[in-house]
Amino acid sequence: MGFLDRFFGTRSSSETAKQRLQLVLVHDRAEIPPGMLALIKDDIIAVLSRRVNIDRDKVAVNVTHEAKSSKLLVDIPLLSNDNNAPGRMRGEPQRPRRTSSSS
Amino acid sequence: MEGTVITITSGKGGVGKTTTTANIGAALALLGKKVVVLDGDIGLRNLDIVMGLENRIVYDIVDFIEGRCRLRQALIRDKRAPELYLIPTAQTRDKSAINPEQMKQVCDELRKEFDYVVIDSPAGIEQGFQNALAPADDVLVVTNPEVSSVRDADRVIGLVESSEKGPARLIINRLVPARVKKQEMLSMQDIIDVLSTDIIGIVPEDEAILSSSNRGTPVVFNGKGPASQAYRDIARRITGEDVPLTQPQATSWWQKLLGRVE
Repeated sequence: MGFLDRFFGTRSSSETAKQRLQLVLVHDRAEIPPGMLALIKDDIIAVLSRRVNIDRDKVAVNVTHEAKSSKLLVDIPLLSNDNNAPGRMRGEPQRPRRTSSSS
Repeated sequence: MEGTVITITSGKGGVGKTTTTANIGAALALLGKKVVVLDGDIGLRNLDIVMGLENRIVYDIVDFIEGRCRLRQALIRDKRAPELYLIPTAQTRDKSAINPEQMKQVCDELRKEFDYVVIDSPAGIEQGFQNALAPADDVLVVTNPEVSSVRDADRVIGLVESSEKGPARLIINRLVPARVKKQEMLSMQDIIDVLSTDIIGIVPEDEAILSSSNRGTPVVFNGKGPASQAYRDIARRITGEDVPLTQPQATSWWQKLLGRVE
C-alpha cells in the first residue's frame, strides 16, 4: 500500500481480497447465494408486516458459518410509537415493499 | 508397519500440485524414506516430465490395472535418492479408465512396500479427484495467495471433510513476501483467518522452480533456495517432526548486499 493510499485511507487490495473471500465463502458453505438473501428478506418483511409494525429499512438478513453449522441470522427491529405499539395486531395488511440492497 | 498415502490436491489448476508432489516425494526420500509418487492425472501426464523421468516410461498404472504388466514393472526408479520411485499415468486414456476401488487396491499393494505413497491429484472435483482421494490417509491442499484458488481450496477442504478423509492440511504456494508486506497479496494469516485450516507449509515464489522443471530436477535435489527449504520442511513435518512455521520475510537491500539471497 503506497503512501498516497494510506493518506487517503484507501483500503489495500489484500484487505479487499480477504473481505471478499470471507463473504463469498460464507455463502458457498451455506449453499445460499448472496442474491437469495435479498429475496428472503423481502419475504420476511411481507409476512411479518401483516401482523406487526416493523422497521423495514433496518431489517437485516445474514448467513454466518461457525465450525460445522451455518445459521441464518435475521434482525427485525420493531417500530414503537404511541399510535402503533410493537407487536400490536394491525387491521389492514401493508403492501410489501421490495428492498433493494442485497445486504 | 504399513505406509501412508498422501494425496496432493487443490481444486483449481495451475497452483503447483505437480511441482509440490515431486518435491515432497523427493524430500521424503532424501530423509531416508521409501517413497513412490503416483501421477493421478490420467490423460494429462506431467509428473514424469517435472521429475525428468519421461524417457524411462514403459508401463503405466492403467497397464497394471488392465493386467498388461505387474506393479513392479510400472515403477520407475529415480536414482537421485536412495529409494524414490514414480508410477506414471496413461497419456492416451481418460479418468474413467480407473475407479476409486481400483486406486485403493493399487495403494494397498504399495503401502506394504513403501513408507509413503504420494498421489498427484488432477485439478477439479470430478472422478479423477475422487480416484486420488479414495485411498488417502492424509490430504494436502495446495493454494496460492489469490482469491480464486483460496475459494476452490475451501470447497475441496469441505469435500475432503465430507468424505471423512479430513482434516486436510494446507500448503500456501508461491507467496511473495515483498508483496505481502506491501499489502498487495494475502498473507499467511489472512488465509488462516479465511479458511481456518491447519497449514503444513508455505512455499515462497522462487525463480528456481521454473528452471528446475525446465531441467527435470526437483529443487530439493540441488537447491538451498527458499522453495527447496520450504519443501524439505514440509517433508519433515509429514514425518512428524516439529518444525516451526514462519511467514517468509521480504529480504531487505542490505541482506541482498550481503549475498544472503541466491
